[in-house]
Amino acid sequence: MPVDTTESRTTAPTTPAPPRRATRRKRPAGGQLARALVAWAIALLTVFPLVWLLLTAFKPEGESFSGGWPSHWTWDNLKFVLTEVPFPRYLLNSAIVSVVVTVLALLFHSMAAYALSRLRFRGSGLVLGAMVSTMLVSLPVILVPLFLIAKALGLLDNFAGLIVPMIFNAFGIFLLRQYYLNFPTELEDAAQLDGCGYPRLFWHVVLPLSRPALASLSVLFFLANWNAFLWPLVITSNPDLAVVQVGMSSLQGQYASAYNYVLAGSLIAVIPTILVFLLGQRWLIESMKSSGLK
Amino acid sequence: MAALTSITTKAAGKPAMSAERRKRETRAAWLFLAPDAIGLLVFVAIPMVFALALSLFDVDGFGNYRWIGLDNFHRMLSDPMLGRAIGVTVKYVVLFVPLSFAFGLGLALLVWNKFPGVGMVRTLLFLPNALSLVVIGLLWQFLLVDKQGVLTKMGRPFGLGDVSFLGDPKWALPTYVLISVWYSMGYQMLLFLAGLNDIDGEHLDAARVDGAGAWQRFRHVIWPLLGPTSFFVLITSLVASVTGLQAFDLVYVLTKGGPDNQTSTIVFYIYQQAFSFGHFGYAAAITVMLVLFLVIVTAALFKVTGGGRLHAR
Amino acid sequence: MTTPATGQQSTSPRPVLTRRALLGAGLGLGAAAALSACGSDDPNDLSFWNFYGPSPTPSTTSDWFKSVTDEWNRNNDVKVRPRFIAGSAYLNGNTLQTAFSAGSGPDIFLISPGDFLRYQNGGALLDLTPYLPEGAREDYVKGALDTRTVDGKVYALPMEIEPLVVYYDKRAFEQAHLAESDLPRTWDQFLDVGTKLTNRNRFGALFETLPGYYQNFVWYPFLWQGGGGAVADGKSIFDSEAARGALGFWRETQRRGIAPKAALGGGSGDTPSNLAVGYCAMQQSGIWAVADLKTQVPKFEYGIFPLPIPEGGKQVTDGGGWAFAVNARGKNPEAAARFVSWALASTDAAGIDRARRWNTVAKTNLPPRTSVRKAAEAKGDFTSGVLKTFATSIAPTLRSEPRYPPEVYKAISDAIQSTQLSGNAPAGAARQASDVIDNFLLTYRGGSIL
Repeated sequence: MPVDTTESRTTAPTTPAPPRRATRRKRPAGGQLARALVAWAIALLTVFPLVWLLLTAFKPEGESFSGGWPSHWTWDNLKFVLTEVPFPRYLLNSAIVSVVVTVLALLFHSMAAYALSRLRFRGSGLVLGAMVSTMLVSLPVILVPLFLIAKALGLLDNFAGLIVPMIFNAFGIFLLRQYYLNFPTELEDAAQLDGCGYPRLFWHVVLPLSRPALASLSVLFFLANWNAFLWPLVITSNPDLAVVQVGMSSLQGQYASAYNYVLAGSLIAVIPTILVFLLGQRWLIESMKSSGLK
Repeated sequence: MAALTSITTKAAGKPAMSAERRKRETRAAWLFLAPDAIGLLVFVAIPMVFALALSLFDVDGFGNYRWIGLDNFHRMLSDPMLGRAIGVTVKYVVLFVPLSFAFGLGLALLVWNKFPGVGMVRTLLFLPNALSLVVIGLLWQFLLVDKQGVLTKMGRPFGLGDVSFLGDPKWALPTYVLISVWYSMGYQMLLFLAGLNDIDGEHLDAARVDGAGAWQRFRHVIWPLLGPTSFFVLITSLVASVTGLQAFDLVYVLTKGGPDNQTSTIVFYIYQQAFSFGHFGYAAAITVMLVLFLVIVTAALFKVTGGGRLHAR
Repeated sequence: MTTPATGQQSTSPRPVLTRRALLGAGLGLGAAAALSACGSDDPNDLSFWNFYGPSPTPSTTSDWFKSVTDEWNRNNDVKVRPRFIAGSAYLNGNTLQTAFSAGSGPDIFLISPGDFLRYQNGGALLDLTPYLPEGAREDYVKGALDTRTVDGKVYALPMEIEPLVVYYDKRAFEQAHLAESDLPRTWDQFLDVGTKLTNRNRFGALFETLPGYYQNFVWYPFLWQGGGGAVADGKSIFDSEAARGALGFWRETQRRGIAPKAALGGGSGDTPSNLAVGYCAMQQSGIWAVADLKTQVPKFEYGIFPLPIPEGGKQVTDGGGWAFAVNARGKNPEAAARFVSWALASTDAAGIDRARRWNTVAKTNLPPRTSVRKAAEAKGDFTSGVLKTFATSIAPTLRSEPRYPPEVYKAISDAIQSTQLSGNAPAGAARQASDVIDNFLLTYRGGSIL
């Protein structure tokens, strides 16, 4: 139980593909231009809050609410949150959690997906159905019982608690299974002839072939875990375990009057997200093209 | 929508195999399945069952459990604030689902065709969805500070300069909805783009040759073919708006459920009961009712749509 | 749940189910471990959670926490390790609750009146009475220990008393051509003056708007001024003229547009972010604001006046403040209790000076102990300026912050929110809150609700 499965991003079945040639049609130049202008205008409006975030983070103290450019650009706000607040610690914690969850989730999900797509056994339909039905359950819904289960398993206020319950997520299994269904049947046959056992077949043949799908999933999982707030908020009380979202929300109370610090913190927290997203976007599209998911 | 195609196993088409190999294959399959199966069982399935058990106890958060039968459920009937929370969630769903649907579809149609920088535009439109809800909450809180926030000031010419967007009970929920739409419209746009790209260009070209205008092409070609995508978008945004993180994280950061409980969604109320007041049993009882409701709604939707087939083709 | 109304009954509840019975009931896993005690950590190493120090940013409050624990650790084998938890996480979050739910609550921690009963009823607090030095209880000013006492036993030691007043911006008054003689004494006067002080960029007055324990805390004085209350003799007395009046007063500040619907910064207790930046001209806040304003905006000119009262009402204010408490299920509750008693209740010269430094040097509070107040006055504190006003004219009107359980708190909070922000009628809101409280009292068992 993971990244909340009803949360929109993780359920994205597909990602933006460049429009196909067939749909590119000649249109009157005027209409085309107007449409482009409108689209650009909306896009810029949409990111206006982010631009404002960027500007304010570099504004000197006392100018947070003044309009326009900073009177002079300053690094003080960023310096403050990186030195006076244990922000590097928050970032490190988030990075550890996000990376470990992503790696383990990819491994476990691809194993499960492999079993559910390529291996014959009684009850596979039932298992698949049961797993898929857990996609309906989101973290906020089972928060209270999950908290008590985590407590029973000794998963409160430690890294294991931040990581383990977040790994399991039927969405990843489902997506990978769809991907594996498209592998040719000769795959197994060839491997069988080589006398390859299932683990080796999985490790040496299936996993390498699933790189594109894993890459796109890893972007989704990383973002979801980097942005996770509710679960870390609920299970950690040790400040040394605070992840970046929790640390930031506590800035809200501590330096509430100083929006320049709060926004500088937000900016730092957002940079990895945007980097991963921009880099991952290419992966996502790549995986779509080559995966035959389409 | 390829990810949601049929639930049949490809292996079913393989030729018959020896009993020995079948045994080996079965054992391997279960080994491969074990980590995820156990994980989903422990961290998803058992909590659901556990919620039911918990709802029959008075649990105070200090390790004391006391059996109270159905008292927690009785209490729900006489809890006016639970009624308010349900009302808030209903209002939120009714506003959010259609709005984000319309924005998502509109944007998808707008950026469907290529123009200079179309990739950049799509990225920018989707960008808010990659951010954390905590950052989004903090950021919008800052933009909407009474009298001084940059957006509040921009509202002055429209007579909105004195509005407290997050502090006025009349405005808080609509503001929360708009922020949610801003957050999720890019994602819905992507879903619709994927659906649009599944549409065969020949259909559209044929319609154009027949002299169909833009609206007619949309109405008679695009809209019907987008059916499965639309259904998927509706379902996901419905579930997300009732139980998704946007129903908790945003509320927690933006308003803490206020003003006058106008943004206290059901999931926020559950959290508050458990973690602010220590009523774990009562929170579990509400959870049980919420899960029941979701199961019923989902079942009904599947029934209405004929088995819930979400295939594009 | 067949127990009749037991508002005044104060037997501390024990789990009705034994561990084995629970396991038998088939709850298994979760419940079993939930009941199991916390790990066997070093009983000579005690954790002390607070929201002051040692904090990442230097402050006088952080220094005090460090110096006190250092001094203890130099002279004792059982060490106390202070741990800083960000204020927002401690005050509004679930940090403490989570730790206790996990069975890993701190050995020593700070507790507010609002949380007291829940923890006490849950069996989480140790009785400190046996550890108090001779004469210590008598040294506490009248009423200071009441809200921390159950059945004559003291379960937490207050470190401070924080009374509420109204702070005002002297320049804003001058600009509005208002003199010191115009300082409002009644609600009506307050509303009139507030109206005169309101302009396009500034609100006349500021009361808390965010729902929470703090909002209730600052609202209670207005309820008491007219003789109102929440619970008496196991029944709700909330549906009263006094409650309707107090709800109506706050509603009126919104109706007339003289108070904002949201405070800036850290809320209405945060004067540097609101009053000092010209967001409002009058602001209800506590005695802590004296130190805040002095350190953050030393040039800002302000004054204070007692909370306005209704016609015929009585002058009363709310004395908040936090207390040290010991986790009854901690690693070494006895040693923890000895530390708490030593830190706050020692009657020797060093002990009095320790408490004095907290209440005058580290922070500005009214000391909860007579000997400490005398020591402070001997050092020249509380003898001039606004602090003298606090000590001489505000202190006699003090009433301790009530220790209502969460259900009572929430019912009142909902009434305040609904009238203040949605403008609903005080009569209906008071009645609904009263019904909710009565409903809760039917099944309440635990310490008396003060």
